[in-house]
Amino acid sequence: MTLALRQTGALAWRSVRGTLRTPQALFPSLFFPLVLMAIFTSSFGTAPGTIPGFPPVRGFLDFALAGAVIQGILIGGTTAGAAFALDIEGGFFDRLVASPVSRTAILAGRLGGGVALAMAQAVLFVSVGVIFGARVQGGVAGVLILLVLAALTAVAVSGLGIFLALRTGSAEAVQGTFPLFFALLFFSSAFFPRETMTGWFKAVADVNPISYLVEAMRDLVIEGIEPRPTLIGLAVVSGLALAAVIACHLAFRRRLAASP
Amino acid sequence: MTSSSHTAALGRARRSSGGSARHALEVSAGLAWRSLILVRRMPSVFLPSLVMPLFILVATSGAFRGISLLPAFDGASYLAFTIPLALVMGAGFAGMNAGMTLARDIEGGFVDRLVVSPAPRITLIAGPLMAAGLRSVFTTTVVLTAGLIGGVGLPGGVDTLALYLLGIAFAAAAACWAMGVALRTRTVQAAPLMQVVIFLAVFTSVAYAPRDVLSGWLATVADLNPVTYLLEASRAAELTGLGWAELWPALVALSALLAVLGTWALTGLASLGRR
Repeated sequence: MTLALRQTGALAWRSVRGTLRTPQALFPSLFFPLVLMAIFTSSFGTAPGTIPGFPPVRGFLDFALAGAVIQGILIGGTTAGAAFALDIEGGFFDRLVASPVSRTAILAGRLGGGVALAMAQAVLFVSVGVIFGARVQGGVAGVLILLVLAALTAVAVSGLGIFLALRTGSAEAVQGTFPLFFALLFFSSAFFPRETMTGWFKAVADVNPISYLVEAMRDLVIEGIEPRPTLIGLAVVSGLALAAVIACHLAFRRRLAASP
Repeated sequence: MTSSSHTAALGRARRSSGGSARHALEVSAGLAWRSLILVRRMPSVFLPSLVMPLFILVATSGAFRGISLLPAFDGASYLAFTIPLALVMGAGFAGMNAGMTLARDIEGGFVDRLVVSPAPRITLIAGPLMAAGLRSVFTTTVVLTAGLIGGVGLPGGVDTLALYLLGIAFAAAAACWAMGVALRTRTVQAAPLMQVVIFLAVFTSVAYAPRDVLSGWLATVADLNPVTYLLEASRAAELTGLGWAELWPALVALSALLAVLGTWALTGLASLGRR
């Protein structure tokens, strides 16, 4: 058990170091969310308080913070999946499987790396937001709950990336799913409130799990700790994370069974 | 047609034509045609330039519709307001394609064969420029058709023509930028650099809201960004009718962009063969 934990830690650290050593992998997950947050804040700064249905909020930056955190995790999750696929393509995965390393550690290590990066990213984004004038109404406890939500989101998204890597064995195929994540993000309330949407777009945002996840995080920032949205967000993301882990486990077994 | 037979055909074009200008035009047209048929042969290269503007149109107009309730929008539909943004992005992608195709040709050796052929060197950028303009016509048509499906009618004939011409001009500017990058880096791996700069140029303008609504740093950056004036002219053509007040700033901005980025592409072309 202790050995498996140590192996998980070592593989998680390898995953984190691998991302930190490839700036082209790290850059998009930091740059795009921050730039979009800055652009949206300046473009829609007059929206709170003037547009009917817009929730009461101190400023648009407070509103936009949660969307940036989720966006960073979505991009980072694709990177984690692609890195796992590169391990498969390069033969490192086969060598790991042939070694006495715990098989659970192989998956948990990569997921752990994704979670660590997502939490660091969330801390960075919240810090940048606070430096530029945002205020987290939930205080330190609110930030901690936000980090838990971020960690579970990272498990769900990285898990999906790893699942795709195990099924396809191709980094290109995993990277190809990025537009899907991007679409999921835009067709949700990540950047603007659902209350201002209409028609089929609102119907899609209403059934998009990202909406509930981002609203749980946003409520911690703009209103404080409210049990209902937080619990809904936790339930949604826990379900997604569990489904992703089960899918990874099954795909892992399938790949092992198929290998000669 | 293989790359070598293309080169041979381009050489024959010189023998069959008279003046050097006509020859350059024929070779450029040949290269533009080669670039265009890649759309059919490698749809994965062209598809993003078609899908992204449509995605931007649908996602932006759906997600941010609420902002159009502000008085600065004067009751305009946000879908109609977003159509010029999608057109500009489509044109930008058409331009990026020119750079990516050129980078691929440099990596694959086609450009080396062209350089030693009798084809004038300027055709290396003139051909992809023509192709970028023609591709932007296609993306503009697709975006305007999507707008029609969404209930936004076409503006008048002259305004529709203005939308196409503004799109062609921006595609040419984006192509010059992307080809300048391709000629300097000589690798298709520089594609993200081509894309990021065009994305930033478009999104740090009046992409999501008019200048009256912008606040903070973006208000200043948008004032200095040439894409702002292109978008404002396109929006005038789409929503109210293009007047001289919107047209001349767009013409100045596009001329400046084309002069600077054209020089960037030409100096990149001049460096070809030095390394």
